[in-house]
Amino acid sequence: MSVRPLTEDQRDAMQEITNIAMGQAGSLLATLLGVFVNLSVPRINVLALSDVADAIGSMVGRNIEITAVRQSFHGYLRGEAIVIYGRDGCKELGDLMGYDEVLDRTDEIELLLDVSNILVGACLGGIIDQIKGITEAHGAGELSFSAPSLMAENVPAEVLINPDKLTWTHALLMEVNFTLEGRNFISHLCMLMPGGSIEKMRNILDEFVASF
Amino acid sequence: MARKMLIKALPSSWDVDITQAGNGEEALAAYRAGKADVMFLDLTMPVMDGFQVLEALQKEGLNSFVIVVSADIQPIAQERVKKLGAIAFIKKPVASDAIESVLKQYGVAL
Repeated sequence: MSVRPLTEDQRDAMQEITNIAMGQAGSLLATLLGVFVNLSVPRINVLALSDVADAIGSMVGRNIEITAVRQSFHGYLRGEAIVIYGRDGCKELGDLMGYDEVLDRTDEIELLLDVSNILVGACLGGIIDQIKGITEAHGAGELSFSAPSLMAENVPAEVLINPDKLTWTHALLMEVNFTLEGRNFISHLCMLMPGGSIEKMRNILDEFVASF
Repeated sequence: MARKMLIKALPSSWDVDITQAGNGEEALAAYRAGKADVMFLDLTMPVMDGFQVLEALQKEGLNSFVIVVSADIQPIAQERVKKLGAIAFIKKPVASDAIESVLKQYGVAL
């Protein structure tokens, strides 16, 4: 099945909306950790589901083991938000949060879940806020989020998404990443939406572009 | 899109020609070519980011009037751009009155 990319205007609008939302998430992270957070230029793409795993692998880096936390969202849009951490990420977080002792794995995971929840909430919340005027005019209700849960531990990034387990044919993939100044920490936030939501998002973006 | 959103927020009475740049490098080239009395500068950009643009302007001693417009709302980011010579920081999504008040503050005729 062929995949229809976003138009240039749609992609451009999605990128700017994501950029603004990411700024809010980055600021929360900076406050939480007390360090300067470098923000990335958001990457936006519509892909065949079979290509998503590979795309994530090339963004995050191959041959490195990652731990990932997922949160799904549903309502007028649905999809998955996935936060990906490298191996050192958890240790760096514990260190920055001022934990003196070496965290055991349970504490580490709890910390990852908390931080992921903050990033996803701010990022997705920031996107929703900006398109609210449009979605509300169409009578769309609120989105709801699942609790964050551990998706994978110490696996290569390219095997994170198993296309056989999803019924989607293609996905809108949005990726932003946060690096911490002077630290060996990077976390990627990927948002994935399936076909029906992509079509709704296209319409929302068209209206967004037309409003400027 | 970022540029479209900004341009819409500029005071309508402000009589100016607008040159747009897709990234920091293009912005710097336009500035060097004398095309900007006022520059609205984003921070998160491909090729050359806003911090690098400010550093280059400072290094080249260009007499700049730069207003940073960014989604990067960390207090440290705001401090840094001011240190690098930006006259103001306006957060995204940009509000028209935020721009107007900065311009007025610097005596720009609107």
